[in-house]
Amino acid sequence: MKDRCIWAGLGLLIVSLASPAYAYLDGATGSMLLQAAIGGFATAMVMGRSYLAKAKALFSRAPKKTDAQSRD
Amino acid sequence: MNAIVDAGSFRDPAGRVFAAGEQIFRTVMPDVAHDYERFRDGGLMHDLIGKGLLVGASEAEAHGLGNLARGSAYVLEHPRVPFISYPYEWSFSLHKRAALHHLDVHLAALDAGFTLVDATAYNIQFDGTRPLFIDHLSFRDYREGEIWRGHRQFCMQFLNPLLLTAYLGLPANSWFRGSLEGIAPEELAPLLSWRHNLSWTVLTHVTAQAALHRRSLRAGAPSSSRTPTLPLTALRGMLEGLRRFIAKLEPKAARTVWGDYAGDNSYADAEAAAKRAFVGEMVAAVKPGLLFDIGCNSGDYSEAAFDAGARRIVGFDFDHGALEHAFRRFDGTATPFLPLWLDAANPSPAQGWAQSERKGLAERAKADALVALAFVHHIAIARNVPMDMVLDWLLAMAPMGVIEFPPKSDPMVQRLLAQREDIFPHYSEEAFLALLGARARIVRSQHLSENGRLLVWYDRSRSG
Repeated sequence: MKDRCIWAGLGLLIVSLASPAYAYLDGATGSMLLQAAIGGFATAMVMGRSYLAKAKALFSRAPKKTDAQSRD
Repeated sequence: MNAIVDAGSFRDPAGRVFAAGEQIFRTVMPDVAHDYERFRDGGLMHDLIGKGLLVGASEAEAHGLGNLARGSAYVLEHPRVPFISYPYEWSFSLHKRAALHHLDVHLAALDAGFTLVDATAYNIQFDGTRPLFIDHLSFRDYREGEIWRGHRQFCMQFLNPLLLTAYLGLPANSWFRGSLEGIAPEELAPLLSWRHNLSWTVLTHVTAQAALHRRSLRAGAPSSSRTPTLPLTALRGMLEGLRRFIAKLEPKAARTVWGDYAGDNSYADAEAAAKRAFVGEMVAAVKPGLLFDIGCNSGDYSEAAFDAGARRIVGFDFDHGALEHAFRRFDGTATPFLPLWLDAANPSPAQGWAQSERKGLAERAKADALVALAFVHHIAIARNVPMDMVLDWLLAMAPMGVIEFPPKSDPMVQRLLAQREDIFPHYSEEAFLALLGARARIVRSQHLSENGRLLVWYDRSRSG
């Protein structure tokens, strides 16, 4: 599973983080730091999913709906 | 018109909610008037309302609210939500539905150039199993690169409670009820194993967030006020990733107390049919707009009540498996059934700020009728609550209804008594009828079978 292949990447990222530059002491600090850290990953994953969907579409006559398209 | 401020609406200075009789109003303060106008005029508000994702709203005259509306730019009037419920009362499937709904509303908002300023689960209410977003002032213009401000709140109030049940098999209700902000990542993370962290979602939103939170606390005072940024593509990716992940979550398989109760109990089929007919007769006569099914199990008798004309039912049960059965039975049907978790011996209290932010069950629980089948012995015997107090509690919720009394000889009562000393000499049909008769008119009663279970239809509406 793709999720399971890239978890190590995030682990490395966390380990490699320098001292937090914006260590607000409110409850959302961890959330902010996380979003700053994974923003690039999240973008890459979206792009990856998009290319994967296009690649799959090339090899199938009736393209399957993605989860994002089928949300209700 | 005597308007009352909703004590749960104080946190956002953008506006307050008021109840005036059956009408619900919301003030919109000048600071956010521009955001509201854009939300209204850009089409998103009407689109969400039209699709049934957001509770309806129409602009109303402020004078009816008197001083309460002073200083506001607009007053909105909303249709009343049939029954206010809180996340710590939701079954797993309701909570999951609420989480997906929140994400869907946020994604729809981003499509239209808006974002949500928070991610509180208290902004979701239900009509049956259909979720409704209820806060029109959560929508603000999206600014390119801004982070998801509600991220931690979403994790605490949606993701983490769901993970607790899906990964560890623990219902989140009691924890959430004791911690109204939800379950923090740094509280959940130590409970998860390395296997759980093979999931990207868990690794990032729980474990990494908890680690970064702890690290920031160790780092001490702020060293900079630089604000992190998050590209729109990444924000959408996070929301869609969480949606895909949560959509697959299911409760960890666990044997529940009476998950198979309806299909594996001591009643004969003929008794169940007689019970359905008795409930149907009361419902057909009373025609309740809102019926409570106390101890609803998997919803057999709620189904009978719907068949007889009940318009809306809130089902309460202690057993999480039974609630899941009930959710699946009514979800997607035209019959609005809301399955809520309730320990009747310890119902939701009034709590939060000044003990009034979240209302207790008694304050919200006013139904047109109720059914309490196979219920009273669980409270009177298993929880030692005297029968007069059981009846006072039940009758306070609805002026009429059906209550079932199982005698001591009943196998289910025997099972309860087998585990303990019989300290209930007054638990008898005669005493039950005398206590009920002193509180309400007994319209009709019927013995179900050879083991002597008794159904009683009461009506206190004319007996004071």
